[in-house]
Amino acid sequence: MDGILDTEARARNVRRHAPLALTLAFIVLVVALLVAAGFYVRDIVRASFRDAEDIRVARTHVADMLNAQLNEETGMRGYVSAREPILLAPYYVGRRSFPVAAQRVGSDLRRLKVNEALPPLRDAMATNLRWLHEVAVPLILTHGPAPRLELRGKKLVDRIRADGVAIDVDLASRGALVDAGAQRAVFSIGALALASILAVVLAALIFTVQQYRLGERLERERTQSEAERRHSAEARAAYAAEKRIADTLQQAFSERVFPNLPAMSLSATYLPATEESKVGGDWYDALELPAERVLLVIGDVTGHGIDAVIGMNRARQLIIGSALIDADPAALLARANLELVRVKSPLITAACAVVDTRTFAISYAVAGHPPPILLEPGRHAALLEFGALPLGVSAKTTYVTRTTATVPGAMIVLYTDGVIEYARDLEGGEAALMEAIESAADVPRGQAAKAIRDRIFSNSRIADDIAILTARLWEAPATSASPRRIA
Amino acid sequence: MSGEMVDVVRLSGELEIARKGEIRDALAAASTGTAVLLDLGEVTYADSIALTELLRFCAEATRNDRPVALVIRTPQFARLVQYAGLAGAFKIFSDAAEAMEYLRERAGGS
Repeated sequence: MDGILDTEARARNVRRHAPLALTLAFIVLVVALLVAAGFYVRDIVRASFRDAEDIRVARTHVADMLNAQLNEETGMRGYVSAREPILLAPYYVGRRSFPVAAQRVGSDLRRLKVNEALPPLRDAMATNLRWLHEVAVPLILTHGPAPRLELRGKKLVDRIRADGVAIDVDLASRGALVDAGAQRAVFSIGALALASILAVVLAALIFTVQQYRLGERLERERTQSEAERRHSAEARAAYAAEKRIADTLQQAFSERVFPNLPAMSLSATYLPATEESKVGGDWYDALELPAERVLLVIGDVTGHGIDAVIGMNRARQLIIGSALIDADPAALLARANLELVRVKSPLITAACAVVDTRTFAISYAVAGHPPPILLEPGRHAALLEFGALPLGVSAKTTYVTRTTATVPGAMIVLYTDGVIEYARDLEGGEAALMEAIESAADVPRGQAAKAIRDRIFSNSRIADDIAILTARLWEAPATSASPRRIA
Repeated sequence: MSGEMVDVVRLSGELEIARKGEIRDALAAASTGTAVLLDLGEVTYADSIALTELLRFCAEATRNDRPVALVIRTPQFARLVQYAGLAGAFKIFSDAAEAMEYLRERAGGS
């Protein structure tokens, strides 16, 4: 039992902590994602800045290249106009620095992967070479004006400048792209941060709601189990009270003083149902009547518990009370029946017998009860048939008194259905009872009921209440002087 | 009047307190006909609670002028019914067809 409770408590604990663990895991996941995204964005931004710087440098290299070309051209123009070798100085500077600058631009473009600018660069370099070989060198070697060469030189130079502008435009647009990428990265890290905050808030919200619901459920379970505990405690208390009252009443009637007539010995036994069943409403009575007669009554109230005991007491009062007026068995049952029908009593089965110790006559009437059994010396036990409906069924039921003549030594046995129905085999139960009664013919006075009971239930469990009442008639007057207690 | 107006209630096995609800429901369903055939041919035992239900039902039907016929076959249950006094109060048959015949005659005669 403790083990089960422990397991249940553990299961409850697991259930209680599950939302917390889930929420924590969720938050950790979100934070990890955020950190990873942060690194990613940082790399993007860093790369953008680096690329932007590289583009700036590449553009100065482009400018350097164009500058070199300008120097070459300026020196050439000066030389052509004045034919002074000193004026060629810028030309030589430019001629040295152009390939260097062009090389740098080339490596810049390749590193930055601005491949679309490579063809203009190659064209610029090729055009520069053409300008050198087809224009500059001939102009230096030529003496006098060379307008066609100059015109050609101007066209080539324009072409180089156009190439330079194209490269610069490509670089500039790449720069714009890089900037936009950096901006996007910055924007997305902002968005990510916002999303993370929302996610964490959401997680916290879900966690809170879950905790709240869990709390509610635990409270509900606690209240419920408390109510169940209270309810079962109440039921136990009610059962205990019912059993106590029933036991007390049963004890009260089973410890009564029986009539003590010299020509009759009475014995009785009562056993309540086994502990797990409830107390029933079996009872018996023996009442001394005028003219040395004795009224025997046995009965059984349908159902168990306090209602059965109340029904039992009502029936006893009715029968005993009216026996003081008229002790005819059928009349007793009929009067009790009318009243029990009127009060809507639980059904009651009963058998009444009036035993006359002077005449040895037995008058009896039965209301839905197992028939009394008569044992006469030297004969087999015999059932005293028959009865009518139980008490409390119908006000129209007619009960009949039958009278049988017996002999000294005869014994009449009244009993309740628990004595014959324990195996749900009435015929078998009746046979066993008759056999037990026959075997009890010679037991000492006052012992017959117990002997019969012991014989029947030596091997059988007592499931229902059982009650047995016996009365034996004697020829010789008995000598005992005081009333005896019957146990 | 005809046989169609006879309510037939069929119970079997051991009738005991655990089946009280089932018995009540079966009996409660038999409330429309002008007569009742209580077929207990397969019943082998009835405890006092079950017997009370049957008795109250039969008494109520009789009070309402609805003839009741019982079919009882197993000797154990027949014995129980005998000492419970049913034999004197209600018509008991060992055959369902005979019981139905009786009820039809009753219905036709009334």
